[in-house]
Amino acid sequence: MAAFSTLLRKDLKLELRTGESTITLIALSMLILLVLVLAFNPAEGHSADLAAGALWIAMIFAGMLGSSRALIAERENGCMLGLLLSPIDCAQIYAAKLAAAFIFMMVAEAASIILLMLFFNLDFGIRLARLLPTVMLGGLGFAAISTLLAAITSRTRAGDLLLPVLVVPVFVPALIAGVKASSAALAGAAISEMAMWLKIMIAFDVLFVVAGYLLFEYVVVED
Amino acid sequence: MKSAWRLAVAGMTLATMIAAIWMSLINAPTEAEQGTVQRIFYFHVPCAMVTFCAFGLVAIAGALYLWLGNQIWDDLEYAAAEIGMVFCTLVLVTGSIWAKPIWGTWWTWDSRLTTTFILWLIYAGYLMLRAFGGDTPQVARFAAVVGIFGALDVPLIIVSVRLWRTIHPAVLLTRQNEHGLQDPRMVAALLMSMAAFTLLFVWLLGLRFKTLRLNTRLNSLKREVALWRAAEEGGRA
Repeated sequence: MAAFSTLLRKDLKLELRTGESTITLIALSMLILLVLVLAFNPAEGHSADLAAGALWIAMIFAGMLGSSRALIAERENGCMLGLLLSPIDCAQIYAAKLAAAFIFMMVAEAASIILLMLFFNLDFGIRLARLLPTVMLGGLGFAAISTLLAAITSRTRAGDLLLPVLVVPVFVPALIAGVKASSAALAGAAISEMAMWLKIMIAFDVLFVVAGYLLFEYVVVED
Repeated sequence: MKSAWRLAVAGMTLATMIAAIWMSLINAPTEAEQGTVQRIFYFHVPCAMVTFCAFGLVAIAGALYLWLGNQIWDDLEYAAAEIGMVFCTLVLVTGSIWAKPIWGTWWTWDSRLTTTFILWLIYAGYLMLRAFGGDTPQVARFAAVVGIFGALDVPLIIVSVRLWRTIHPAVLLTRQNEHGLQDPRMVAALLMSMAAFTLLFVWLLGLRFKTLRLNTRLNSLKREVALWRAAEEGGRA
């Protein structure tokens, strides 16, 4: 646990000094939302559905770039080798990287939700509280798979191109559940109406956090 | 797999395949509502069965490879993934051919179609990783992890896609007719076709596996020769 908190603190401190991940993620989410608003021209009536879709598109694309960035930075500075040589369980490294990726994603999500409310003319208030569990569960699941798969692609030839191809299909169940739950939340539905979708997302998160925790070792080990 | 054994499987595949073609195209009666188009079902369903077996094998062989580290499991895994992909493509294509006259469209986001398509995408990513990542033990481990991820995802995909579709009412007919194989000749044709495709899968898997084993052996021989040459040159200098 000490190793986990040290690693996480290191990542957070690095982020506070440079702001690299969060600022890029926010900028990217903003651009994606802008593109979607221009492409779909949200009209009255359908704005909740459209906004939910836009939120998840921004999350997936910004998250993908963010997660590969975090691991490439470790590699560029030869830091990954140091981490692997240190007497830390590989699973702890995964947990710390996952936690860092999750925190950065949530900061970016907070920004994009505020923008979403403005761009799509939704009212603030109760909807935000209902959106929160969906976004957090989705972000956790996404961080779990993208951290592991980015560890793979950051060490593979043509890896940058492969990351989206590997991440998006695996994320589909959580994506379906997430879009459905958020569009219900944005339309003002009660939590009980979203329960079914939230359950799927919880199952997804548990499955892939555990799988990532167990499999990370095989992905980072050097030959 | 010894070559005599492989020949036997090939012979049985040929015999059952001919029997399956005769039984499903000629012997089985034409389905009352759908007509001749329904006959594609005798090929579509066995293909789907083989797809699931192959992708299941990818995950099992992948887990064994990570656990035991023996190259033989990796070769089996790669062979199963390639063949699974071929059959998955066949499932989608034969399904589309059937759907056009029956549902009136080549493609609809029905739960089963969507699930199969997402599986296809996951294993397409898997094969791209293997093809572009390079032929190293590292990429083999990566591929095993992706294969396991894909298999873990399957139940969740099925559940989420089904719920997604039930909430949106289906535009087209349900396919209840499919299970109404009234005539025993229809059931026989389906069973024979399943046997034929299972044998075809085993035969193809054996061939591909053999090729990959030979490739592994060739690579290790090449390494040995390179080492030997280097040692010889070192000795001369």
